[in-house]
Amino acid sequence: MIEEPGLSDQYPTASPWPLFVALGLALSEIGVFVGLFPVAVFGLILFGGSIAGILTESGYVERPWPTLLGVGVVLIVIAAGFTLWQVPVADIALSNVGTGPLFTRLVAVAAAGAVMIAMGGVASVMEQTAA
Amino acid sequence: MVAGDIVLTGLMAVLLVGVAALLTRVENWRSYTPLAGGGAVTGDETTVINREKPAGIIRWLTTVDHKDIGLLYGLYAIIALAVGGIMAMLIRIQLVTPAGAILGNNAYNSILTSHGITMLFLFGTPIIAAFANYFIPLLIGADDMAFPRINAIAFWLLPPAALLIWAGFFLAPVTDNMIEPARTAWTMYTPLSVEQANPGVDLMLLGLHLSGVAATMGAINFIATIFTERNEEVNWANLDIFSWTILTQSALILFAFPLLGSAIVMLLLDRNLATTFFAVEGGGPLLWQHLFWFFGHPEVYILVLPPMGLVSLILPKFSGRKLFGFKFVVYSTLAIGVLSFGVWAHHMFSTGMDPRLRASFMAVSLAIAIPSAVKTFNWITTMWNGRLRLTTPMLFCIGFVSNFIIGGVTGVFLASIPVDLILHDTYYVVGHFHYIVMGAIGFAAFAGIYYWFPVFTGRMYQRTLGKAHFWFSMVGTNITFFAMLALGYLGMPRRYATYQFDGAIAPLTQVSTFHQAATVGAVILFIGQLFFVWNIVQSWLEGPKVEDGDPWNLERDGMLDREFQWFDEQLEADSPEKDPSLLADGGQEEQDDS
Repeated sequence: MIEEPGLSDQYPTASPWPLFVALGLALSEIGVFVGLFPVAVFGLILFGGSIAGILTESGYVERPWPTLLGVGVVLIVIAAGFTLWQVPVADIALSNVGTGPLFTRLVAVAAAGAVMIAMGGVASVMEQTAA
Repeated sequence: MVAGDIVLTGLMAVLLVGVAALLTRVENWRSYTPLAGGGAVTGDETTVINREKPAGIIRWLTTVDHKDIGLLYGLYAIIALAVGGIMAMLIRIQLVTPAGAILGNNAYNSILTSHGITMLFLFGTPIIAAFANYFIPLLIGADDMAFPRINAIAFWLLPPAALLIWAGFFLAPVTDNMIEPARTAWTMYTPLSVEQANPGVDLMLLGLHLSGVAATMGAINFIATIFTERNEEVNWANLDIFSWTILTQSALILFAFPLLGSAIVMLLLDRNLATTFFAVEGGGPLLWQHLFWFFGHPEVYILVLPPMGLVSLILPKFSGRKLFGFKFVVYSTLAIGVLSFGVWAHHMFSTGMDPRLRASFMAVSLAIAIPSAVKTFNWITTMWNGRLRLTTPMLFCIGFVSNFIIGGVTGVFLASIPVDLILHDTYYVVGHFHYIVMGAIGFAAFAGIYYWFPVFTGRMYQRTLGKAHFWFSMVGTNITFFAMLALGYLGMPRRYATYQFDGAIAPLTQVSTFHQAATVGAVILFIGQLFFVWNIVQSWLEGPKVEDGDPWNLERDGMLDREFQWFDEQLEADSPEKDPSLLADGGQEEQDDS
């Protein structure tokens, strides 16, 4: 199973993940609060991916993909919850993306969640079929 | 707008692909060995670990070693100190003449705001984290922090936080002043901070929020480390004083910073999504002041308790006597920690709040002087009849005590409602708290840097330059901030970019003179810091190597703490050939990188 050892296997006091967890969180905050759709989506993906990576590396979980999928689900639930709570049902339409300040931000969060679910799901399936 | 979005999407996609490619290159995700606990991963049995860290820049970007992270915090804090210091110099030069010498009003307000936030959040908190990261595990005999990766995440949140806080300065020229630096002052009072449409304020708030998240993560880590990672010989009775203050500070952070984070999110929502948390028809503008100062006053103790711990640790070493009344210094630390949450409204005496509430806040504010005085008397008593050695760290400790007394006593007067109503929003307040933040906190930080310089560099600093640094700092601090106290008595309001008063309002000639004195003091202070930077950089590169594990001759008095014992062991086994695992501090030799 083990081929070449990775950086954090070779070096017990090194890990590439914390830098990207921090960068992901920073980009997510900027994207969501300032209202920059692409920054929000990519920032959240980086954040969620790094969480999956760091949990796997430190041995809390065995594989990163279910975690990535889980973070995606949490984001979608949050976005959906806020939408139902704060956005009038009549305004919930794809054509309204980019108009309402809250709705656009929630769509960004949901989009990031959807991408993470897709990535986590596809990778899980690929891993299992490869094995 | 659509084109901008496409460009942004492209940029983000490139960034994400770059990150993924980099991670794939450095990490083999299939090789992870499950090991719960977040500790060091040892890899497969076939993977022989003979190095602790990679070499070069990758070492610093990926490190989870508490000593490396401590050094990163230190470097970050010194850069922030330089930025904040240059901003302070601009403020002081501006105020040489009543009409303002160099800056327009908007530029002055921007710099004033950034100076405060930079010094408190980007210098003060990180420099304490630098000492705590490097030395708490060594002082309590731990291998590392309880959560090394969370430690690294907490640090890496800070560079984006700084960039966001300063973002307006970088973005104003390229966005044709669409995004400008925030001009809210560091207290960000509503309604001013809600009404400033400038997106630079949002960026600054996000930066502050990130720095708060970082501080909270760090605090959780320190609490867990001090509770669970102590060496079996270290118990609550013999835990060192610096660890006690960090433990108390971390508890304060845990209660205060999440509140700041929540208040900032509420402010951001008011600004961007039309909520009414701080609007007159909602919670009201005063709600912000309550929330802010419920964080803000404990923040003062978050910043001052660990420096007090540093002084309590270092001052006895050069007095030849153990800390007088150790237990009472610990109790007073805990007392200050508890009381600090009951004084916040003394910042709001002049807002028209209920006078009965005011009186209770006055009582608690006056009461907090008692544990502070307990500490001061203990420091003085420790030195009394001691065998004083006036090394640079000791000079800074004595300077700390001296400045803390002036800063503290002026604060007691401000705690009294009638005095506060006269002096509120004058330079007296500025003088008072600068005696604490520069004269005390800054001095303790310098004392710590000089005291442990041999440990974290393996070299000795230049003593004469160190003493020059102290005397310039001491003289400069006292001229600058004493002049400010006088300015306050003359009625000079704080935060003004110019002061062309009518002579009937304030005596303009005297006000100008004291402003000029404060500027002269600031120049002296600035020159002192040039000595500091020169000394640290040159000594780190070329200073004489420390051969002895007890460079301060502490064993004679039986005061060689665990961190110097650790340093001695490192010196003993410095040669990598003897035991490669002891290369932990030097990283991997460059030539082995091939």
